Amino acid sequence: MQELRELAKKLLLEGTVKVVIGYAEGRRGVLPIFAVTPGEAGRLIFDPRCVQNLATYLSPRREQVVALGRPAVVVKGCDARAVAGMIRESQRSRDDLVLIGVRCGGVLADPVSAVEVSEATVAARCPGCDARVPKHVDHLVGPLPPAPPGTSALDARIAELEALSPGERFAFWRSELEKCVRCNACREICPMCFCVRCVADKAQPQWIESSPHARGNFAWHMTRALHQAGRCAACGECERACPAGIPLNLLNRKIARVVAERFGYSASGDPESPAPIGTYRPEDGEEFIL
Amino acid sequence: MTREMHISEPDLRVLAEDLVRGGTRLIGPARPPGKDGAVVYREVKGLDEIVLVGDPPARSLKEFFLPPTEVLFTYRQKQGDVELAPAPHVFPPQVVLGARPCDAAAVSVVDKVMDWDYHDELWFGRRQATTIVSVACSGGDASCFCTAVGLAPDVAKGSDVLLVPVEGGFHAEILTEKGEVFVAAHATRFAAGGRSEAAMAYRAAARGKAEANLRADPAKIRAFLESSFEHPIWEGIALRCHGCGACAFVCPTCHCFDIVDEAESVATGARRRNWDTCQAAKFTLHGSGHNPRKGQDCRIRQRLMHKFAIYPGRFQEILCTGCGRCVRICPGGMDLLEMLDRIGREPAAPGEAGRGAP
Repeated sequence: MQELRELAKKLLLEGTVKVVIGYAEGRRGVLPIFAVTPGEAGRLIFDPRCVQNLATYLSPRREQVVALGRPAVVVKGCDARAVAGMIRESQRSRDDLVLIGVRCGGVLADPVSAVEVSEATVAARCPGCDARVPKHVDHLVGPLPPAPPGTSALDARIAELEALSPGERFAFWRSELEKCVRCNACREICPMCFCVRCVADKAQPQWIESSPHARGNFAWHMTRALHQAGRCAACGECERACPAGIPLNLLNRKIARVVAERFGYSASGDPESPAPIGTYRPEDGEEFIL
Repeated sequence: MTREMHISEPDLRVLAEDLVRGGTRLIGPARPPGKDGAVVYREVKGLDEIVLVGDPPARSLKEFFLPPTEVLFTYRQKQGDVELAPAPHVFPPQVVLGARPCDAAAVSVVDKVMDWDYHDELWFGRRQATTIVSVACSGGDASCFCTAVGLAPDVAKGSDVLLVPVEGGFHAEILTEKGEVFVAAHATRFAAGGRSEAAMAYRAAARGKAEANLRADPAKIRAFLESSFEHPIWEGIALRCHGCGACAFVCPTCHCFDIVDEAESVATGARRRNWDTCQAAKFTLHGSGHNPRKGQDCRIRQRLMHKFAIYPGRFQEILCTGCGRCVRICPGGMDLLEMLDRIGREPAAPGEAGRGAP
């Protein structure tokens, strides 16, 4: 903790950055803060309650954050993947950012009620994580906590869904997606949803109906999921933000797996590795093209 | 005129069964069937499913009066002409059993705007078909602040009947004509009851608990808002906000909607109204590309202005019940208690007095 605070103070005092985006204690759990003075940097913390992916605040759409000046941002391994994605897709320049990596032992599924990571409290995406030490960062702080215990409940659930017939699977997703109220929280919080104008907001022509009925909800969620193929940082923020409790992490992880199988690619913290969505290779499979 | 009665828990159980058997749609705070998910208001088959006392359900009662989407009318194009058919809206009788008092109050607050520049037939159709039986809340969690907006865990506003948990059952207050009709229809389930010390002790304890979370002066908050349109406070407050609007969607009093025409085929389609949120940039985006609420600071300010200055100015009601849902749901950690506490301590900016007033 002290290491993080001292580093943030130093970066601010020497003028390397104008703001440190990090975590601090709030009235009700951990909050993102934008520390612009060394005093505020003294509030920074990192622990398993720090679930938020702060890379989202680096989006050029966040004009008021951009206006604060050159940022340093505290990133977990999954968050660093999102930063790499934003650099890869030309949203930010690597030179404009200072990345403070934090070693991570998994975060909590419910950071307001729980404090310690255990098999019962850990976020479903964390067990099996291969990015507990963020790569391609400028500074790395904190000791490496033990690996998150257990295996991912997401993998078990995906296996269950894969075992269903297409009809049963469709029924499952229909019952989940009918809960959607189309608030767009999943989109607004996603660091990879940086489009100035989202396809879902286009009205002429209207590709995706804005009504929260089955047709509109399926159109939106299929579009969102496919636009994330090979891009999703697997930070789980969309599911955390969803007021309807839709298990979006299942879709994200399944699609990431398909991309890994088909294209040998997984979103990583390396901003230089070309992603399938913007790359053509002669050996890419094309047997699905009629 | 309030009348006091008593109903035992077994009698309330039978009452719920009677309602369902009689074809009334019974709604209560309950977990999703067969799942561990969050408690929400939903249709239930009996009292055992209902979580009568506890934190506010994840979503409010609003969807039973203003659904997330509904068809207003359908259209059919016919040789250069357009035929319109009103949607066949029916409002079957429904009873909410176990409403949190804050959620019942919210419906009554929103009644004002729904009967302002036009009378919203769909809202009031459902309102008239619905009897709300609330159960006094035990004081909520750390995000509850009903007492700071002039309500209380046991507030009667918006409820037809208010039940207060006492040993073995409930002290019942019959609050409205609709409540009298309801009790008369289930007269055998209710027993005579008078002043209940136990009920009063429960209510006092709950109030104390909610009061401890936030003490605020709504008049002072309103004065600050009406004089601080350009105050630097907004930019700082808004930085962590994602503009996702989840707060508005779970809010019991946010009632803004969008109206869309959606084609079902080349010649047919429907006009729908859908929930909307002032926290989205698109909410005020003009066709020209200009956006009068350009940044998230303007949008957060609008949220607070509407709830704590504009609506009170127009309807003498605060457009907030202190249910705390926006605080619990916010993925960015926006905390209305913190914002109100801070605003309540800021002096109103004298140079701008009156700005933003209706």
